[in-house]
Amino acid sequence: MNKPTIGLLLGAGLGVLDGCTAFFYPDTKGMMTGIIIGSTFKGLVAGLLIGFFARKVHNMAAGIAFGVLLSGLFALGVAMMQGNHYAAIIVPGSVVGLIVGFATQKYPHATA
Amino acid sequence: MSFPVTRYSAVRGASSADRGERSRAWDVLAAAYWQPVCKYVALKWRLDPADAKDLTQGFFAAAIEKDHFASYDPSKARFRTFLRVCVDGYVANERKAATRVKRGGASVCVEVDDRIAASSSLEDYFRDEWVRSMFAMAVEELQRLCDDRGKTIAYRLFARYDLEDEGRDPEANYRMLAAEFALPVTQVTNHLAWARREFRRIVLDRLREITADNEEFEKEAQLLLGICSN
Amino acid sequence: MLELSDRNVAALRRVLEQPDSNGRYHPVREIARGGMGVVWEADDRELGRRVALKILPFGAASADWLCREARVLAGLEHPGIVPVHDAGLLADGRAFYAMKLVQGNRLDQAVAGLTRNQRLRIFQRICEPVEFAHSRGIIHRDLKPENVMVGEFGEVLVMDWGVAKLSSGGPETGIIGTPQYMAPEQAAGANDTVDQRSDVYGLGGILQFLLADQPSSRPLQAICKKAMAQDPRERYATAAAMSADVGKFLEGEPVSAYRENPFEVAWRWMARHRTLVLLFLGYVVMRALVLYFLGR
Repeated sequence: MNKPTIGLLLGAGLGVLDGCTAFFYPDTKGMMTGIIIGSTFKGLVAGLLIGFFARKVHNMAAGIAFGVLLSGLFALGVAMMQGNHYAAIIVPGSVVGLIVGFATQKYPHATA
Repeated sequence: MSFPVTRYSAVRGASSADRGERSRAWDVLAAAYWQPVCKYVALKWRLDPADAKDLTQGFFAAAIEKDHFASYDPSKARFRTFLRVCVDGYVANERKAATRVKRGGASVCVEVDDRIAASSSLEDYFRDEWVRSMFAMAVEELQRLCDDRGKTIAYRLFARYDLEDEGRDPEANYRMLAAEFALPVTQVTNHLAWARREFRRIVLDRLREITADNEEFEKEAQLLLGICSN
Repeated sequence: MLELSDRNVAALRRVLEQPDSNGRYHPVREIARGGMGVVWEADDRELGRRVALKILPFGAASADWLCREARVLAGLEHPGIVPVHDAGLLADGRAFYAMKLVQGNRLDQAVAGLTRNQRLRIFQRICEPVEFAHSRGIIHRDLKPENVMVGEFGEVLVMDWGVAKLSSGGPETGIIGTPQYMAPEQAAGANDTVDQRSDVYGLGGILQFLLADQPSSRPLQAICKKAMAQDPRERYATAAAMSADVGKFLEGEPVSAYRENPFEVAWRWMARHRTLVLLFLGYVVMRALVLYFLGR
């Protein structure tokens, strides 16, 4: 598996998980499908970009920083559209970027 | 890689048809085995040194007279083992005869040599005494050789360093000897190397003489060099 | 006659044992002693270096044996096999060969204090010269911890090729090897059937030795069991295959000798991707904290 694919799959997976947490916020009732699709799409795009970045730059710290920054920006965009729950969206979104950044730098081992 | 095929064997010479050859062979064998046989007899039969000496004398005289060693077969045992069995038989017969004529029934009990404790059996004791005798002969021969060749200093160094090896650091010992004998260290090591080489040659030459064939020689050499236990 | 004490006799015996190569090699100290001879550390005065002199007991048969070992070693140029510099007869007729002096310890002394993974990496390096020898048609036949040296810079050397079987060699009789590490076909004296899988058995014994005081692991036990199977056909076909399986274990991958259950697969995956798993757990915890503090 190459790095963009890893980023894509991991980003999408964590995006779904991220979106599902909206169930715990009563005020998002009725928007769940949109939130999950949006979150998945956000994770997918961010993961793909982080994967491409990892293919170009072989540096763990840079990969993680890029992942945190990019996912944080995406999350900020979503929060601004939402106009609410800034911290609850940006913090987890950035952590997703951190995980994807780490994973795309570390795996696969030899072939990048 | 093989050892010289032509070699003098006193064991084979002892059963030679030629009287002169036989006599020479007996001298060699007696010189190599007299001491170990005497000590072995004294220890095994608890005899005092004088009686053991008489029996040893008698054994070799009888062996020469009756040509005992002609029956030795190298394929069956080492000569050393064969000789020990012959000694056992001879002494047992002598003691039986002595008891019959009521002579010497009361042999003198001597203090058991404490060296027996270090040897696991009388056979080991006999072997150890044989090694001691071989080395003593070789050291004496080395001394004669050094005197003949004007290398007395080499023998004196050998006697000081190798006969009295105290397990100290070799380099320190070389320096100590160099100071003691007023020689450069390199000369000390050269003299020692020569004396040691001659000592090895003498031991192995004597060993070739008192073994029947190469196979027996190799076994006994392994024993002398401490590789095999017997 | 001169009367020598026990101490004199012992000292003279040491003189007699010292190797005399007519000047080239000056003995420094005895390193090892066994039934097959004595090994001395010596100064090579011609080339100004320290060497190990292996000296065999007296006997033409021993000399032939030593020549054979020297020839086998000379034909095996590999970093894991000690190179031979010289061979011949000492002044007293004993056969010797001079080889590189390895500064280090025997495997059985060297592994104390090492972790399991360090031991497994050493094991892989033992397999390399063995595999190389097999590729040259040579079977060691006496692989055991005592015949492996670990140098002070971590180099691993397989020693004692004196009983090695050459593919070009003639028929042999007798039992060759060390009972504890000997393949059943060797113990049965069936030397014609001895092949590289017999060495794989010996390698299995070495692996078992290396893991004896380590936490047990089913895949590693399975590797040992497969290498030491009674039937040679059930063993690894080559030393390289066995080494590869050990390598897979080290990489956290499944080994060919052991079929895992799903729980073991999951556990191995998590152990292999520990950081990722920890990050994910961190994410979940962080999510829970965000929900708890900000979600109300």
